[in-house]
Amino acid sequence: MRRRTLVLIGFAVVAAAAVMATLGTAGTSKTRYKIFILPKATGIPVFTQNGNGAKKAGKELGDLVTYNGPTTVSGAAQVPFIDTATRQGYNAIVISTPDANAVAPALKRAAKRGVKIISYDGDTARDARTIFVAPSTNSLIGAYEVQWMGAQTNYKGQIAILSANATSANQNTWITFMKQELRKPKYRNMKLVKIAYGNDDPTTSAQQTQALLQSYPNLAGIIAPTTVGIQAAAQELKQEGKCGKVQLTGLGLPNDMRKYVKSGCTTKFGLWNESNLGYLAAYVAHNVLDGKLSGALGQSFKAGTLGTFKVVQSDGNKPVVVLGPPLVFTPQNIDKYHF
Amino acid sequence: MRGVAGRVLVRWETLLVVAIVAVGIWSVTLSPFFLQRANLLDLVTPYVFIGLMAFGLTFVVITGEIDISVASTLAVSIVSFAQIFAAGANVWVAALIGLAIAGGLGLVNGLLVGVLDLPSLAVTLGTMAAYSGLAFVILSGEGVATFPEGFTKLGGGYLANDELPVALLVMLFFALVLGIVLHGTRFGRYLFAIGSNREAARLSGIPVTRVRVTVFVISGLMAGVAGLVYVGYFGSARADAAQLSLLDIVTAVVLGGVGIFGGTGSMPGVLLALILVAEVRNGMQLANFSGQLQNIVIGVILLAAIVAGNVIAGIRAGGGRTRPRRSRKEVTSNAPAETQVLVDSNS
Amino acid sequence: MITRVRAMKPQELAAAAFRLREIGIVLALLVVVVFFSIRADNFLTASNWQDIAQNVSIVVVVAVGETFVILTRNIDLSVGSIVGLSGYLVAATLAHHPGVPIEVVALISIAVGVGLGLVNGLLVAVARIPAIIATLATLAIFRGIHAEITGGKNITAYQLPDRFLSLAASKPLGFPALAWIAVVVAVIGAATLRFVPWARDFYAIGSNPDAARFAGIAAARRVITAFVLSGALAGLGGFLFASRFPTLDSGAATGFELTVITAVVIGGVNVFGGSGTILGVVLGAVLVATISNGFTLLRLDEFWKIFFNGFAIVAAVAIDALVTRRLQEALRRRRVALVSSQPQAAEA
Repeated sequence: MRRRTLVLIGFAVVAAAAVMATLGTAGTSKTRYKIFILPKATGIPVFTQNGNGAKKAGKELGDLVTYNGPTTVSGAAQVPFIDTATRQGYNAIVISTPDANAVAPALKRAAKRGVKIISYDGDTARDARTIFVAPSTNSLIGAYEVQWMGAQTNYKGQIAILSANATSANQNTWITFMKQELRKPKYRNMKLVKIAYGNDDPTTSAQQTQALLQSYPNLAGIIAPTTVGIQAAAQELKQEGKCGKVQLTGLGLPNDMRKYVKSGCTTKFGLWNESNLGYLAAYVAHNVLDGKLSGALGQSFKAGTLGTFKVVQSDGNKPVVVLGPPLVFTPQNIDKYHF
Repeated sequence: MRGVAGRVLVRWETLLVVAIVAVGIWSVTLSPFFLQRANLLDLVTPYVFIGLMAFGLTFVVITGEIDISVASTLAVSIVSFAQIFAAGANVWVAALIGLAIAGGLGLVNGLLVGVLDLPSLAVTLGTMAAYSGLAFVILSGEGVATFPEGFTKLGGGYLANDELPVALLVMLFFALVLGIVLHGTRFGRYLFAIGSNREAARLSGIPVTRVRVTVFVISGLMAGVAGLVYVGYFGSARADAAQLSLLDIVTAVVLGGVGIFGGTGSMPGVLLALILVAEVRNGMQLANFSGQLQNIVIGVILLAAIVAGNVIAGIRAGGGRTRPRRSRKEVTSNAPAETQVLVDSNS
Repeated sequence: MITRVRAMKPQELAAAAFRLREIGIVLALLVVVVFFSIRADNFLTASNWQDIAQNVSIVVVVAVGETFVILTRNIDLSVGSIVGLSGYLVAATLAHHPGVPIEVVALISIAVGVGLGLVNGLLVAVARIPAIIATLATLAIFRGIHAEITGGKNITAYQLPDRFLSLAASKPLGFPALAWIAVVVAVIGAATLRFVPWARDFYAIGSNPDAARFAGIAAARRVITAFVLSGALAGLGGFLFASRFPTLDSGAATGFELTVITAVVIGGVNVFGGSGTILGVVLGAVLVATISNGFTLLRLDEFWKIFFNGFAIVAAVAIDALVTRRLQEALRRRRVALVSSQPQAAEA
């Protein structure tokens, strides 16, 4: 009896599948471009700002811009979004990923079906995207952060880095440039003792900061090249009463850090305009879809209100479009920025 | 209702098929892309690794136990595989070793539960954490992400003009094989017997301990197979792989009609349930539901599946009166009633 | 001549065995402390122990609630999601209404936890869904609701009023405020289990649900109460979590349930229900936190901590099961001895 019913079920399933398959339609109408912005995770404020910038560009260009992504920072979690975006007929995917290699197979699958891939902020494997939109020159970002730390610690003492994910391409690139800067003679009394990973999670970053303070009681400073990390570290230092004793710098949002700047937890840190980054990335995507940009070096284009940009080679990475030099925040100018 | 038609219509699997068609109709209203052949064939691909683990877990649950360490087992398996491969071994050799490790981890569970007679929930809760940490110890942070094309085809490859996913074939293959083992062999019948009444099974000569150890090994091995597919599809082997997949795995098993206290279940049911879960997730993805909202939906489906099962069992038992489910722990409890001491706490 | 052999009553024997369990944890704690004081600098400093106390306090608060549930032979996997959701609501309330008194916010947090715990209780006791499945589902559902409420944004520390943020930093009498709260909760929890009749029923239900029912205990209502208490304490835990980690996003406290359950299991609470003490749970939590702290000071990789936690759970469960079996055998032997030496002896 069981076997017979199982066979009947089997027939039903196959029949249903066959019906649905033959009803399959193909093709979409292309009246304007559909661009999918895929951040590392949707809960992180800087990515929300990127998304808003991209949507603004979309309105100016007449393109449909969708912003969606996983809620946890993970390359694997981005894969279903890439596949679905392809099936939903998106013409371009603009992605920032915490895991350059994990998303590569999925992106290549999408590219094979005609979707253009542009990466921004967190780069993917080079052969998986057409152009990378960089917030700033990586070597500058790395060097500046070390310079800011040196100035705050009087160029001596143990320092640690509080990073995001260990697989993050941009984090690792910046750390490489930081180490390069540290080799200069004026930093000879400063020693990098640990790289901790906060995974862009506020709680983990706070716990990692506490662990750094516990395991290195003579720590002079923490460099946190992540907006989630620097904010969590600042709060942790404040809670432990260590502001001013342990120096802090890195990349942070002015709104997040304003209070800590005013209480002396940090005197210099930097970032870039996140909204502009998203805006630029959307313009790059549009121009790639228009055929105006192919990834060849030297091509230039206009990105709305931001001006003209050129495709370049930057720190050995290519092809890259760079937004501009980092913005530097100090107690004197912090009140001018509101993002 | 009488006859084949009656038996077909009231079966759980039939309800699943109906649900699959219904969700299909809903998905079409969400997005015309749903009915594209490429989409339909690719529906299950991101969830094949979940399905494979669900198949393995089915064996365990039918015997009246639970194994929540499967996702961590997958993680250990793939990072071991990745490290061995990165050290220079042939990718297939490394894969086999990864599988063997997965089976070994399952064996640990099996011995603790089957031989030492420890409660499977507590044991697999512990091994879940232990294996997860072990995965990070073996391969912390970075992850490995470059594997030869031939290998990644297993999880991420497509045949027949790039439309038929290999992963789908892998899943169907295992569903078939495991289904035959479960429903067509003596070993399979042992599982149902043990799940219904362990003592009676033991008394009737079934090698209960050996069977219980074996099902955990099977569960571990399937996690290993799932890991290979996972690496192919997601393109990377990381220690935090599959961490959040337990919800979907358990949902596929429960929704597939497998009785959570053991003794009942069918492999075709789990396969259909997995397709349904994949379809629902795919539909939600097309509708741009956030990942967390999708989880709410799956969680609700899980609860509804159990309630529905209770209701149906109640109807079968006596027309509408819901019969209280017998507690699994009363039947299979290791502790005879006489020694259950009612203890005052701080006296 | 009949010699009257005064054997220990079963309850006394069991109680002695459980005393042993707590002593075991204390011994383990001593060994760990000695080991780390030798091997790691700064382990024995006041500030380090203040850190440990503070880190353990949130775990203890939530673990008390989890203990109530596990005693009844159930489990609550959703506590992490409840902590995250209630914590976020605390932060969101304070961010938009900074004038609200902290006590009120704490009550709101507890109330949210009560509501969520009630859902769990109803699912388990009324809808008769096994606790492991029900709370696995609510873990996802509550987390999903949390994520939807955040709307993709998070609450950052700078948005919260200073008097709230200073709660985690304050150390009345040199002991962190959060730890004081945890101590109070633990004491009340232990007292409840000892003196309050319906709480003592938790043990009965967990030991033998049918016997408990026959004895007239309203098992369903007790189970719901246990889940409500678990939810309430998880809600309080959320309030404390928000004060300790004031930047909250949709992933706050993910995985926290594992930390809590680890403390409970290592603290000697039997996963099958029916036995365990709050004291044991507190000691268990302290032991785990101390080892974790020691690992940090020794600059070991993070992941050894996770591995060790899992290994500790397995070890604790195995030891407890084996000890219970020995105890059962001893009880059986004593009963036989009692019966054979005193034909008229009444069984307790």
